[in-house]
Amino acid sequence: MSEKTTYTGFWQESPRTGILGWLLTTDHKRIGIMYLGCIITMFIVAAILGLAIRLELIAPGRTIMDAQTYNATFTVHGIIMIFMFLIPSIPAAFGNLLLPIHIGARDVSFPKLNLLSWYCYIVGGLLAVIAIFGGDGAPDTGWTFYVPFSTQTNTNVSLAAFAAFMLGFSSILTGINFVTTVHRLRCKGMKWGRLPLFVWTLYATAWIQVLATPMIGITLVLIILERTFGAGLFDVARGGDPILYQHLFWIYSHPAVYIMILPGMGVISEIIPTFSRKPLFGYWAMALSSLAIAFAGSLVWAHHMYASGMSDLAILIFSFLTFIVAIPSAIKVFNWVSTLYKGSIELAPPMWFALAFIFNFAIGGLGGLALGAAASDIHLHDTTFVVGHFHYVMFGGGGFALFAAMHYWLPKFTGRMYNHKMAVIGWALLFVGFNVTYMAMQAVGIMGMPRRYYDYIPEFTTLNLVATLGSWVMAVGLIIMFANLWHGLRKGRPVGKNPWGGATLEWDIPSPPPLENFGEEDPVVTKGPYEFKGVVADEY
Amino acid sequence: MNPLVNPTAQAVDNVLIYIFGFSALLLLGITVATIYLVVKYRRSKYPEPTSDSHGNMWLEAIWTLLPTLIVLTMFWYGWTNYLGLRNVPEGAMEVKAVGRMWSWQFEYGNGRTTNKLYAPIGKPIKVNITAKDVLHSFYIPAFRIKSDAVPGMDTYVWFQAPEVGSYDIFCAEFCGTGHADMITTAEILSTEDFERWYTEGDVAATGPSRGKQLLEKHGCLGCHSFDGSSSIATTFDILKGTKRKIMSDGVEKEVEVDAEYLRRSIRAPGADLVEGFPPIMPAYGDEINEADLDEIITFLLNGEQKTSINGNKLIEENGCLGCHSTDGSSSIGPGFKGLGGRTSEVKREDQELELKVDAEYLRRAIRDPNHEIVEGYPAIMPSNDHLSDEEIDAIVEELLKK
Repeated sequence: MSEKTTYTGFWQESPRTGILGWLLTTDHKRIGIMYLGCIITMFIVAAILGLAIRLELIAPGRTIMDAQTYNATFTVHGIIMIFMFLIPSIPAAFGNLLLPIHIGARDVSFPKLNLLSWYCYIVGGLLAVIAIFGGDGAPDTGWTFYVPFSTQTNTNVSLAAFAAFMLGFSSILTGINFVTTVHRLRCKGMKWGRLPLFVWTLYATAWIQVLATPMIGITLVLIILERTFGAGLFDVARGGDPILYQHLFWIYSHPAVYIMILPGMGVISEIIPTFSRKPLFGYWAMALSSLAIAFAGSLVWAHHMYASGMSDLAILIFSFLTFIVAIPSAIKVFNWVSTLYKGSIELAPPMWFALAFIFNFAIGGLGGLALGAAASDIHLHDTTFVVGHFHYVMFGGGGFALFAAMHYWLPKFTGRMYNHKMAVIGWALLFVGFNVTYMAMQAVGIMGMPRRYYDYIPEFTTLNLVATLGSWVMAVGLIIMFANLWHGLRKGRPVGKNPWGGATLEWDIPSPPPLENFGEEDPVVTKGPYEFKGVVADEY
Repeated sequence: MNPLVNPTAQAVDNVLIYIFGFSALLLLGITVATIYLVVKYRRSKYPEPTSDSHGNMWLEAIWTLLPTLIVLTMFWYGWTNYLGLRNVPEGAMEVKAVGRMWSWQFEYGNGRTTNKLYAPIGKPIKVNITAKDVLHSFYIPAFRIKSDAVPGMDTYVWFQAPEVGSYDIFCAEFCGTGHADMITTAEILSTEDFERWYTEGDVAATGPSRGKQLLEKHGCLGCHSFDGSSSIATTFDILKGTKRKIMSDGVEKEVEVDAEYLRRSIRAPGADLVEGFPPIMPAYGDEINEADLDEIITFLLNGEQKTSINGNKLIEENGCLGCHSTDGSSSIGPGFKGLGGRTSEVKREDQELELKVDAEYLRRAIRDPNHEIVEGYPAIMPSNDHLSDEEIDAIVEELLKK
């Protein structure tokens, strides 16, 4: 094993050299790396805003900022985390890095479209930055842009809405690309029943991206029309209806939470078999439940609106459908746990993150039951319980899945390994801080503290203090984790093809993979993705 | 119905306990199973897996069907209890609640308006909710009830309070800078207290002043007259500054009639006796509370004037203080402190002007708030068409004093 000084593979092989080799690249791996860099940057910015929110709430009254700044802070935290971090995170970054390799292809179906979608993301991101720092001040509506407030406030709502519109295009283009790629570019022998679960979840996600994202596009354009020309669509005085906006918004934004979590479930479904050296339990149940989540998840949007004044019949229907979508999620949890049974379990860093994912996601999912039931949601709706629940699913689920993916796959793409002990220390702080923070938020929500509150009554002080202290532990965990990855992936020990003993196709090609992935000959697949017999992990 | 239950909270808590209880069990099961399997099948003990099972149809069927059944019971239980939040019992008292940036206004059957919600104990209260400007949400955690307040639309909640006391009301739908300050309370009174409060409120708005009404109610006018026609008790006139000859502890002296004197005469009539009248007046203790006593005294001293419109009360009830501070601190709207005589820079139809704050300006600012916008503040104040000219005058008078 020789010490390498620079990365090889796709890091060096490119038709163009230098910066243009990246900015004009059509290589899915380079695009994936560019997405990952942007996404992590966005995450860090929004996480700092999140810490500022928690710091403000450490005690009643003003701590570090005034009410207007606070409102802008949680709005920007939400917009960045949702539209620039969570939605593109796993699909755009790791989907791009891995989807073609997983199905034995040399690239995605439309490599140029792929680059265009990255530019849409960048343009949307730049517009969002302008909306935050320029003009009449950062938007202060919350990431939901509810009317009539969003049509009345003087802040930069129109520009922020247009930024989200652009980001939506990025998402749609990626979705089209992935659906086509999975249908058209599977290599010889890669039957549907041999697709890694990560591909199944990306496939289900891609359909949601293609079908649901146009809804948010048109809704955000309507907001802009309302603000600019006074279109009156959501104004009762002119025959409009503010509730209509909420329907339009959630028809996209509820499926969007499945865009954020489904690929994460795919990541976990890759990691658990590898570190158990055992096939994923219930392959077809897992594959079909991904599609079921994508389908049923598109029919539950109005469960965000039980208290909106919507009719009771609508509440009956949407509550029922909401409970239906809980079932495929439960099936997934049971199958992950069953995969461990009689396995050979190695607690490597990716596995720690995967196990934490199951725990966090279970709490988030079970909390969702109380929000799906009509009576209990009336009390919990719009309290910090919802915020805690959402973070359990999106951060404890989607975020931890991204971190799991980074620990699992980044050594493949850099050819270098980080320090395992530091990774577990970072994981432990993150896991403990995370649970302290969001469990306290859920508890104070059950006590009745409304969300988006700048100030609160004295009864809520203790739990808010606990949540803020938890956020600091979480922050230390994140710093250790990112520092360890950054250092290890640049200067760590080189790794061979297959450091973990994985059985999917990416572990058969060099680390880092070369341009077009598979060299001269296209691969031929003769077995399922989780057949570990004869697979040996490389020493490193 | 047992008046000591809190029916809406009961309905919600039933569901919460059922779902949280089940969830806790399931979470515990999943966590214990995971930890057990990870420890038991660790690689150091099992270098290779002892099974290559790809799944089990029966298990998949069981853990599909069983959760389906369980969540359907949750759905149904949640739904039937939700109906308990929607079906308002017969004979509920109705109150209208209007949300606006950033306060609530409550309107009662008799036209009285308040900024806190007053309601009697043990009686179903239906709150009809709407909003003036943007979305708000009417939320009383103690009763587990919540409904959005939507401009141009009516929604409702109901509750029945089991105990006298003060319950927090929050706005649960984000509505801008003052969202977290949009807090008020539901003041639950005993049936008698509420009845008293309500009927007094009845006369406050129109007709004779509350002080006079109270005199009638407590039977004072049985002996006392307004025109000197009674020989058994003193005459009620505008008493301020008048003098009386009284016997106090057997000593004769002359006193000036003031609030202190009147208070004593009502609470303990035997202490000071006015010459020429028999000592027959009963002492009034708890049956006249302090607020009512003040009302009576004001009326006795000043007669029928000014007492019917209270500018400060209107300022409170109309939610002005949600945005305007009275202590000079900065807020969403210009502060009230030192308003009279202040010069402010305003924008009128894109023209910038300097105006002296006087009664005329304030009247305009209340009637048509966005015609002239004070520099540095957003144009978000709602207009106040529901206020009469007299009420606005009363408000303006108070504002200029601040």
